[in-house]
Amino acid sequence: MSLFDRFKGPGPESQAVQAANQQRQADIEASLRGNRVPAATRDRLEAARAGRLPWTATLAPAELMIARSHGLRPIASVSATCWLHYGRSWTEGHSEGWHTALRRLRNEARAAGANAVLDVKMRTIPLELQDSMDFTLVGTAVRVEGLPASDDPVVATVPALEFVKLLEADVVPTGIAVGAKYEWLTGWGNAARQDWMGNTESTLLSRFWETVRKGAHAELRRNAAPQGNGVLAHLNFSQMFEFEQNETKQYLGRHIVVATTVDGRRGQPVPHEVGMVVDMHGGSTPLAGRRPHHQSYAFNDEEGAL
Amino acid sequence: MADAIPVHAKERLKGLRGSTHSSGVFTSDFSVNEFLLVRKAGFEPIGLCVGSCVYHVGIQYGSWNRNQELDVLSRAMYHARELAMTRMRAEASAMNADGIVGVKLTIKRLEWDDQLLEFIAIGTGVVHGDGHKGFRAHDGGPFTSDLSGQDFWCLLHAGYRPVEMVMGSCVYHVAHRGVLSGLGTVGRNVELENFTSAMYEAREIAIERMQVEASAAKAEGVVGVDIHEGSHGWKSHVIEFFAIGTAVLPLEQEIAPERIADPIMVLSVND
Repeated sequence: MSLFDRFKGPGPESQAVQAANQQRQADIEASLRGNRVPAATRDRLEAARAGRLPWTATLAPAELMIARSHGLRPIASVSATCWLHYGRSWTEGHSEGWHTALRRLRNEARAAGANAVLDVKMRTIPLELQDSMDFTLVGTAVRVEGLPASDDPVVATVPALEFVKLLEADVVPTGIAVGAKYEWLTGWGNAARQDWMGNTESTLLSRFWETVRKGAHAELRRNAAPQGNGVLAHLNFSQMFEFEQNETKQYLGRHIVVATTVDGRRGQPVPHEVGMVVDMHGGSTPLAGRRPHHQSYAFNDEEGAL
Repeated sequence: MADAIPVHAKERLKGLRGSTHSSGVFTSDFSVNEFLLVRKAGFEPIGLCVGSCVYHVGIQYGSWNRNQELDVLSRAMYHARELAMTRMRAEASAMNADGIVGVKLTIKRLEWDDQLLEFIAIGTGVVHGDGHKGFRAHDGGPFTSDLSGQDFWCLLHAGYRPVEMVMGSCVYHVAHRGVLSGLGTVGRNVELENFTSAMYEAREIAIERMQVEASAAKAEGVVGVDIHEGSHGWKSHVIEFFAIGTAVLPLEQEIAPERIADPIMVLSVND
């Protein structure tokens, strides 16, 4: 390409590429708005489903082995994103964002003819674009041999090994539940200030905190109920801030819980035999204590000690 | 293993949903492994139990050259934790739990005020699958324990059951050395006896308080004791000794030693 090529208009070839690009973009936007899988993705998933394309899986070979031994066949890796601007509420945006992504992931799984999506990872790209963030889910759609495709595929935010262990115990991980709640504490003057006091509970803040947290947990249960009868809440996030306005203090408390929903029957015996195994290789085990036995020389590990 | 998937799970994977569950939704922060082990041990999680407390810690200064407990701070650190734990336990009682497994007790400093500390106790309330009430604490309320689901399983298989999370706290001021005392030690290795004895006393007080709690809970022993030192933004000579553990009692039917399985030794080739 010579220097002067820049000043020429785009050739017919690149014009065609651009047009195709635009069309694809338009289709993605229209599809997502209409709660459909974008055409290009749908074609790929359907081809993988029919075996016209090779399967793809986010699983490591060891996980593939576990999956295959339980009659699971990978179809395609599926993913979904919702990039959300939180104009109204950052906290509640988390609930909206993950749910939109979850719905889109289910759509992809359905297009792939899957019974389940496993090894689903919840991700956010570290691009700090003003007042917005992306909620992305990536996982592997699988088919259970001998079962028809599901109209309502389950989404499991656990790895393949845990997925099959749960299944064997008659517990199905089904989806994601989010409980997100924020609240303001205002109009108390400076009652929460107690600089001059000795030991005392700040009952105002304690109670405020409890309200926020209880709200989030109630939301979590409401959110989980349509998906299953339990949650394993692996993420609890909370923050409290103090602001000052017109010489009075205000407080913002927020609490977010993110959980894997499960559907299982109470009181079913867990079929796995459990025995104790000690790995002679080393590494961390409660049998060797959880804290290091030599802490006195720990500073020697710091940078520059050599 | 392809037939290892039970019928109910298969139905759900086909996309069929059973009728809604009458028991409502349980909540827990267990990992999958913990969840399976707690159920294997015969318990079912029913709900997350949380207790929190925002506490304003008073001010106390130790005399410059004296070893002493700062009882105002000790009391604050203990009282606040106790409030958080009591509230957590009240939540468990309200949901009729037999116990709480995997309690995590954390302290957070609220960024706008040095003296405000937030204490949170969180754990999963469990019930015994067969409705056995023998696992409750001595007062008939739920047991509490900071053991993980894995440790819980091991404890039961060792022939014990958890009764109560017990703790002891001692915030201590370690005396500064006098200006002149430094002169006598120039060029010599000498033990700083007052520093040593400060460590002894503070640690002893913390352990003793924990043990008193355990005997009040009518426990036989305390497992998983952790004694650690921490400073929560105090002056340099002020340190908290904190002892925490799970008080335990033998099961109704103690397990004979020969019936407790030895672990199998393996050598993994992981890194």
